[in-house]
This record gives sequence, C-alpha cells and structure tokens, in this order.
Amino acid sequence: MAREIYAYECTKCGTLHYPFRMRCKNCGELEPFQFKTVPLPKRGKLLTFTKVYNLPAEYEVATLGLGIVELENGVRVTGQLEVDDPKIGMDVVGVVDIVRQETYDSFWGFIFRAA
Amino acid sequence: MRDVYVAGIGITSFTRLEYPLSEIASFPAMLAMQDSGLTDIEQVYVANMGGPRVNHQTALASAVVDSLSLTPAGAAAIENGPASGSAAIKEGFLAVASGMHDIVLVTSAERMREVNNLEATDFIATLTHPLAEYIYGVTLPSHAAMFTRLYMEQYGVTERHLAMVAVKNQNNAMLNEFAHLHQPITLDGILDSPEAMTNNPYIAEPLRFFDACPVSDGGAAVILVSEEIAKSTGRPLIKLAGIGQATDTHAVHERENPTDLLAVRRAAELSFGMAGLTPADVDVAELHDAFTILEIAESEEVGFFPKGEGHIALEKGETALDGRIPINPSGGLKGKGHPVGATGVGQAHEIVHQLRGEAGERQIAGAKVGFTCNFGGFGNNVICLTFVRED
Repeated sequence: MAREIYAYECTKCGTLHYPFRMRCKNCGELEPFQFKTVPLPKRGKLLTFTKVYNLPAEYEVATLGLGIVELENGVRVTGQLEVDDPKIGMDVVGVVDIVRQETYDSFWGFIFRAA
Repeated sequence: MRDVYVAGIGITSFTRLEYPLSEIASFPAMLAMQDSGLTDIEQVYVANMGGPRVNHQTALASAVVDSLSLTPAGAAAIENGPASGSAAIKEGFLAVASGMHDIVLVTSAERMREVNNLEATDFIATLTHPLAEYIYGVTLPSHAAMFTRLYMEQYGVTERHLAMVAVKNQNNAMLNEFAHLHQPITLDGILDSPEAMTNNPYIAEPLRFFDACPVSDGGAAVILVSEEIAKSTGRPLIKLAGIGQATDTHAVHERENPTDLLAVRRAAELSFGMAGLTPADVDVAELHDAFTILEIAESEEVGFFPKGEGHIALEKGETALDGRIPINPSGGLKGKGHPVGATGVGQAHEIVHQLRGEAGERQIAGAKVGFTCNFGGFGNNVICLTFVRED
C-alpha cells in the first residue's frame, strides 16, 4: 500500500492544517482532536530550497536538498528535494519514502522531484 | 509596576571553555556582584538551553545558587531555546517590577563545544518541528538558507551583502576582548579572490561558512534591581525600560509570507511601546545575527529601516560603528559568538556596557538608548529589550 502524508481537516470549519495541531487556527474549537485526516496531494510548486553540506551525523550522503513546497490544495510542507537545478516556482511532484534512518527507526516523509 | 534597573553586569569570554557548566554560569555572576556591590540576592534565574542534553546536567539553577553561596535564595532555570537569555531577563524584570523582590540575579551559561559540531548542530535542530521538519534533516542553517533564497529573490540581497555583514561584525569583534572570533576578514578573502571558495565554502546554499555564527561556550549575567537599590549603588542608572515578546508558527512553512519575521516585528513594537520610544530613538543595537541574513532582516522588522532596504542601509555604512544606527558593536553572534542559552544576556551586557560609556574602542559616543533582539527558534519566539540611560 502506498504511504501517505496526511493533513488535518477541522471537522467544524474545514480548515486544513499541516502539521497536526491541537486547536484549529481558524475557528478555535476547544474540543480536542476534532480533525479528520486527509491525504495530502503530491503535486505542487517549489517556494524555496537549499542544498545542505553539513548534515546531521546519521546522513551518509555528501549533500541533501531541502525545500518548501506549496501543494495543489494550498497546504505547504517542508520536504527533501532531489532536483539537479532547482528554481523558485518550478512544478514538483512528491513521493513518500524514508527520509531519515536511525539505528532502530525509519522516518517516512516527502521527497520531491521535478514534475 | 515598579521601574527596574540594571545594577551590575558580568561576562565570560565566548570561546571554548573547559569548565563545568555551573562554573560558566557562576563566574559572570561573581563579576556582576562585584560590579554592583550587591550580594543580598533574593532570586536567581539561570538561562540555559542544552544542559540536560549536551552536558548531562539538569536543575542547573540549584547548582549555581549553591556554588555562589547564595542559598537559601530562590532559584530557577529558564529554557526557551536560543531566546533563553532574554526570557530569563524578562522573568527577573517581572520579579522586581511586581514588588516581590528588590535584587534579582539573572545569569546564563552554555557549553556546546563539549560535543562535536555535527552534534551541536543536531542539538539546536531539535527545536524544529519534530515530524514536519526535523525528520527531513532540517537544521537551523537550512532554515536560514531557504529564508535567504527568498530574500535574494524578493529584495535583491546578494552574497556580497551577506559577506559585508560578516566582515563588519568580525571586525567589530576584534575590538571586543570577550569575543570568540579574533580573526579579521575581508571581502576579498571570503568572496572575491580565487581562494574564496576554499576559505568560505557553502554550508547550505546560498549561505557560506562565514555567514554562520561559531559554536561557542560562554556565560553572562545581569543584576536587576528596584530604583531605590539602583540609586544606592552609585553606578550609572540604566533602566530596563521596555520588554516585548512574541511568537510565531512552529513549522516555518506555515507562515503566510515566509520572508516576514512577524514575531520580531511584534516583539519590537511591544518593547518600544512599553518604553515610550521609537526605533529612531535607538543609539546602539545588538541584533541576533546567528546568520548574516538575520541581521539584515531584523534591522527591517524592528523598524530601523523599511522592509527590503536593510541591505541598502548596510551598503551605505549606516549600521557600522560610526553609522547612524550601529548594529552589533560587540561583534554580534557572528563575531562575539553564540552560546545559545546565554546569548540574550550577552546582548544585554553589551548594551549596558555601551550605555555606561565603558565599551572602549568600540564605544558608540554618547549612547543613551540601546536595544536588543533575541531570536528564538527560527523566529518563532522572539524577545526585544529596550534600555535607557537616565542620569
């Protein structure tokens, strides 16, 4: 089964949030956990990016691309970027894969490539 | 609320310090007690970010108050990321302003060079969003780099502007005996010469090595007191006239306009409002230049220059020691160093030093109003302080 990254939709007002928050930033509903999970779309536009050279110790690569992407539904996410010559505003498409590997844990997240 | 004054200051060198964390906090406190002549401390706050994680030490304030033989005074540690120092000053202010205490010691310490640079960078990265940022390998340099990219695109900031901040602040640090970096640099050496890419490689494009602050150990202290006590010390009357604090979204990507630092803007407005002053009244400022871009962006958000024009003011020399509004005469985080939890207190130390007229070769002549901006998280927890010399 394909893995997904989920946004959190307020069941009162429909506002989408990513990442999870306890309280809706739009309507301020006080009943906890009033969100339903909605898979995030994979396509979007690259807002900004960097190539990092001094990585945390567990990354066994020389450099790592990172970017902020605005997805088709307007939700923004941070993710890894595998694009040779990135440009602000370019179309990208994400896959959900392992983004961080620690001794006993794997973390899954967005990796974006040119659309 | 009662008025609150700074009666004493102390600082360690910001460098690699081979002393226990509690001694790094206690040493500047001793200097501040000497400076003020005050030892009847009623309450101690100790700012620190990494003790439990990096130095394997919890409950630092209990260790410090005893090391200083100040027991049974009250004591508490304050952890608020890179804004821990100013958060502790705010607590100290409230303790005196409320009338609960007359003499409060705010000290601070960080000892990050106990671990290697990768571990230190990872320790700071733990302040990012655990699931939406940290797991991707996001570090503070990567946040700053993505922010810089947008600033370049929108406002025409170039790598040359960033290098100009580095050169200005490291050269200011040459005049500061407490500064971490005593290494003069030139635009030629870090940007223009054939060797520049070797001297100054990229760490997170478009940021290079000399765009980032060093990893420092260090501590700083201030003693906050009531007006009556301040007048009894015979030291110059430096009032802590304004405090503003504001927060923003934890995940940077959730901000509506990612080049706005709204928490900086709001914290500065609150600080100036409380002091009854405006940005134009400031004679000297210490801004949180953990990365060179942040000095430019903060100089706009706090109100010294219009949005998008900070780099133009820099070009004109308005932020130099002899400029209209000197920024980071101490060398800033870039040159003086950035012992994270102690940085806010270190900024206050420099401003008090300047307002007293004791800053030696880097003295801003006749400075009466000083300002600090302590930037926690990636701009999600910011505290601005306004200091006024009254006599």
